[in-house]
Amino acid sequence: MARSPITVSGPRSVVHGWEVSTRRSAAALRLSDASPLAKVSVRADADGALADALGVRFRGSRREDGVLVIGSGPGEWLLVGRVGMAPEIAEKVRGQGEGEFATIVDLTHGRALMRLSGRDAARTLAKVCAVDLSDDLTPDGAAFRTSVAKVATDVVRDDAGGGAGESSYLLHCERSSGQYLFDCLLDAGMEFGVEPAGPHLNQDEPAR
Amino acid sequence: MATTPVSRRLPAQAGELIDRSRPLAFRWDGRRYVGLEGDTIVSALLANGVDVFSRSFKYSRPRGVLTGSFVDPGCTVQVGDEPNVRGAHRRLEAGMDVRPQNVWPSLRFDVKSANRLVGRFLTAGFYYKTFIKPQRLWPAYQQVLSRFASGGVTSEQNVHGYYDKRYVHVDVVVAGAGPAGMSAALAAADTGASVLLVEEEYELGGHLRYSGEQSLSTLSDLRAQVAARPSIEVMTDAVVTGRYDDNWVAVLQRHIGGAVERLVKVRAGVLVAAPGLIERPYVFDGNDLPGVMLSTAVRRLINLYAVEPGERAVVLTANGDGDAAVADLTRVGVDVVGVVDGRAGETIRRATGRGRLQAVELEDGTVLPADLLVTATGWTAPTSLLNMAGDRPVWNVTAARFVPSGTDLPSTVLATGGVVGDGGPEDLMAHGRAVGTLAGERAQGRAGGTVPTLPCAPHPAMFRASTHGFVDFSEDVSSKEVVAAAKEGYDSSELVKRFTTATMGPSQGKLETINTIAVLSEATGRAIEDLGTTVWRPPYAPISLGALAGRVFEPTRVSPMQGWHEQHGAVPLLAGQWIRPDHYGDAAREARNVRENVGIIDVTPLGKLELNGPDVPQLLNLVYVNKWSKLAVGSVRYGVMCAEDGVVMDDGVTGRLADDRYLMSTTSSGAATVWEWLENWLQTAHPDWQVHVTPVTTAYASINVAGPKSRELMQRVVEGRDLSTEAFGYMQVREGRIAGVADCVLWRIGFTGELSYELHVPASYGLHVWEELLEAGDDLGIRAFGVEAQRILRLEKGHLIVAQDTDGLTRAHSAGLGGIVKLDKDDFAGKPELAWHERFALATAPRLVALQPVDPTAVPPEASQIVTPEGDILGRITSSRMSPALGHGVCLAQVDPAVSAAGTVVTIRLPGGGDIAATVQEDLAFVDPEGVRLRA
Amino acid sequence: MIVIPCPHCSVRNASEFRHVGEAGSRPDPATVTPEQWRAYLYERSNPAGWTTETWFHTVGCRRYITVERHTVTNEIRAARPAGRDGRGGREPAEVLSTRADSGSPDAGGQA
Repeated sequence: MARSPITVSGPRSVVHGWEVSTRRSAAALRLSDASPLAKVSVRADADGALADALGVRFRGSRREDGVLVIGSGPGEWLLVGRVGMAPEIAEKVRGQGEGEFATIVDLTHGRALMRLSGRDAARTLAKVCAVDLSDDLTPDGAAFRTSVAKVATDVVRDDAGGGAGESSYLLHCERSSGQYLFDCLLDAGMEFGVEPAGPHLNQDEPAR
Repeated sequence: MATTPVSRRLPAQAGELIDRSRPLAFRWDGRRYVGLEGDTIVSALLANGVDVFSRSFKYSRPRGVLTGSFVDPGCTVQVGDEPNVRGAHRRLEAGMDVRPQNVWPSLRFDVKSANRLVGRFLTAGFYYKTFIKPQRLWPAYQQVLSRFASGGVTSEQNVHGYYDKRYVHVDVVVAGAGPAGMSAALAAADTGASVLLVEEEYELGGHLRYSGEQSLSTLSDLRAQVAARPSIEVMTDAVVTGRYDDNWVAVLQRHIGGAVERLVKVRAGVLVAAPGLIERPYVFDGNDLPGVMLSTAVRRLINLYAVEPGERAVVLTANGDGDAAVADLTRVGVDVVGVVDGRAGETIRRATGRGRLQAVELEDGTVLPADLLVTATGWTAPTSLLNMAGDRPVWNVTAARFVPSGTDLPSTVLATGGVVGDGGPEDLMAHGRAVGTLAGERAQGRAGGTVPTLPCAPHPAMFRASTHGFVDFSEDVSSKEVVAAAKEGYDSSELVKRFTTATMGPSQGKLETINTIAVLSEATGRAIEDLGTTVWRPPYAPISLGALAGRVFEPTRVSPMQGWHEQHGAVPLLAGQWIRPDHYGDAAREARNVRENVGIIDVTPLGKLELNGPDVPQLLNLVYVNKWSKLAVGSVRYGVMCAEDGVVMDDGVTGRLADDRYLMSTTSSGAATVWEWLENWLQTAHPDWQVHVTPVTTAYASINVAGPKSRELMQRVVEGRDLSTEAFGYMQVREGRIAGVADCVLWRIGFTGELSYELHVPASYGLHVWEELLEAGDDLGIRAFGVEAQRILRLEKGHLIVAQDTDGLTRAHSAGLGGIVKLDKDDFAGKPELAWHERFALATAPRLVALQPVDPTAVPPEASQIVTPEGDILGRITSSRMSPALGHGVCLAQVDPAVSAAGTVVTIRLPGGGDIAATVQEDLAFVDPEGVRLRA
Repeated sequence: MIVIPCPHCSVRNASEFRHVGEAGSRPDPATVTPEQWRAYLYERSNPAGWTTETWFHTVGCRRYITVERHTVTNEIRAARPAGRDGRGGREPAEVLSTRADSGSPDAGGQA
């Protein structure tokens, strides 16, 4: 059985071989652990054919066929997909490479991934993150890396993962700091009534 | 002492903040009182006839209200567990337990008031000259002096409260919400800018709140406009306390629901300082008596809190605000028995009374009995935020105060209102609007206009009467001491400040600077404009350590097996940010078990970097001192990295998993450094190389399985692989399935000197594999072992640890690694230095040796020095443990080459005193120096 | 705390970066004399004025960038990806001293 870096408390079950929380929350602000999702790192020339095929540059993101393609650095991408999909994603990218030098590494186990959704998601994040989260500088689809609660963290604004009228952010950091980051976000969100919720492991559907 | 309760509450005043329908009971100095919602602690006490709140710092003089504001030096009190509360600012709450500070044994009778008898020995700087000799009495001095130190008390049991933090990005920050500040905020918002308006008081308005009906009407209108603009965020009971580079602005918010304080870190496009003016006290004999206060104190007390400040008043007025105070006093029925006009050259000589004001002596000799003396002799512009932005204030002779020069400010820092000039509400609002518009335009990148001027009105230069009095009420510094300091040679603003401590108290010069400099000017004959002010630094307002500490979160990193370690009694070791198991109760037993059976250790923090690309061998050749071009797929090599000065930086093993795929391991504390080191070479020196570096330190859970029975154990969990030494020899690496988990990496390497394997398992399955190993090896005597046991084992084997057995000067040869440096390579990091070292320095550079103490029970502490009989240093112990396998101490040491030959006996000086002897060993390894067990 | 306009990530607080040092080029190790090599390792011109220096965006894009900064006013007039002037090697004294806080994003810059 595979385990997330974030300890599961409360009701749980095994889904796709992973121990996950099944807690549901209707709170206005929710934090869920999405670490079981497949995560594939791709490194290639920032302006080459593979970059074109992936269709997104550094600081942007897009969804295609259930995969969230994130431009996480210059010449660096992270592809997030459904649980267990990592080999399939890697294979597809290899096919798009046209022989240029590219590196594909499965980081499913190496990154802790969590989602913060709610009307006050940005205000919560602004307590632990010094980057300007206003709509004009960080619109839906924006991706960046910065220090969140003193941990190097990638942030992606992905409102599709939240409910109507809500903003939603995916955050991921290197695995061993996952529990710490999760706890810091819960602490920051206390003011806005945050509750931990079980993950929605199907990337296409909004996490509610 | 009255037996009936005193009430100095006035009838309803327009604009009063109190709610007469909501009484609040509280305690002061042990007695019960009642105030009203909206009162400050001090206004509630004054309403009850209490007018002494503290005793001063040095002379323990009774003090009451002077300014009636946040900076009032005599109104600092203890509220419950919270010390140093500004009683003239803090709102009263039901049930508060308020006590005076710095009193012993009580407010009414304070032993330290005897200080006034020895006052002349307690002049400025007395502590530079006293309580110094004899040194053995310092503990006794400290006991006594601590009683005399001012400040409140805090309990050591106090839990760190909830101190919050927040980041804000905003176009314009306006510091101060008086008429000019509010107007600036409104105008900036009207240009489309986002605005943060910060106000120190609990409500907006500044002096408009207590300046009469017309001002209240203007105020009400301004407040409504501010409330109607969603782009203006308002913070009250908050203060802009620091301005740093690029308008990084610190705002301290107090008493927000759910948190004690919040530190808001703002990145502002433009900062507008609108702090208004702070009224200045007058210097004369008796100016600190309870009953002597400033005109703004009187106006606040009457208009905001409906408190009668006295019954018989003398007013010294030199400006319109003093006149307005006279009008307010007369209106509420206070008997104004004398009005002294500073503009006509009149002044007072002294105030007298025992414990409080009883009479005022005018300069012409008239003595007027009075219980209230009001002074209105001038203003101080609180230019601190502007000074933090680079402005040096200049003396304005007409207005008799320092004003911002405005010339050295960046275009993104502006000022408006009283801090720059004078005027009625309409003038201030007009100036605020102009500055606010400019701020909004500049913040949004549009060229604005020029900063409008606000002229200063003339004001008499009144600083000191013909007598001497206090210039700094918090520090108990009198004008006489400033004169004396100047005579002793401390004759500049900076020197007199530091010697007398004037302006160094809690108000940081807001009440003290001008008077101190004016007196210094008298004493030295130099003009005030030539003397200048001292430099203002953050914080502008006091900030608690709790607010600076915030939520106190320190990142911690844990492995997937951490839960298991905790459940099995692991004693935690904090290594960098990692929590690791140091041992599970008996490290020696764990180590012995590894040599006899098999042990497993969680080494997940080990740095792991995946290197991909056809040019990886070139990178490895560049960063390692040895050769890597011919490493076959499936093979592993040990490598050492040196910095460009030849100093050992890190070591580890790197294995080749496929043609273009390598896995590099580093020490756990070096993982981030090495990753950056590789990126530096790739990005700046060889961007043409086709190499990608991906950190996988935490993508894998790493487990080291060590001991003579480790092969047997591995055969039970590794699927489909021949693990015999022919098929899978020492320093080889394979990929495969372990305990049902795919994509694992299996190494055969050794750090402990036993037959051992290192498993890298996809981290999410780490705990699963760990538990499978324990179950599969149960009959083999398997035990988990921790970091301490591993340290013992590797020391027995003579393996060095970089940064423990090496330091910032240890070159490869001095760590016993000269043999793997391949100087015939083209170029690699550190090559020139290593080449020169080998040619010129080998004979004299330190060497790493193994030492065995002659006494088998001796284990010298690490860092013990190795000395000659004369006490000269020859080296030091870098690692030291008791060996459970051998029954004696084992050490590694860096020593001078003169004593590095095998068999040499050296002397180790123990830190606690005493010397022991130790013998230099032939090999670094104490156990199995030929490495037979490793290669089994 | 100053801001640095990272050419990849745009404007960020200086605490996200590590200040590597004055930019300079690495002498050819094959022909360099010990004096020249040590000047490369240890000597800096350290002007009170415009300087060209290297910063590393530790918690951002993890790229080395070259910045032109005025050391008295902290004004920054240019920032670009580092080339060969980004110093292939690091000041050795720093190498081991960063081990304790390696990876800490707050190292080197405080508000």
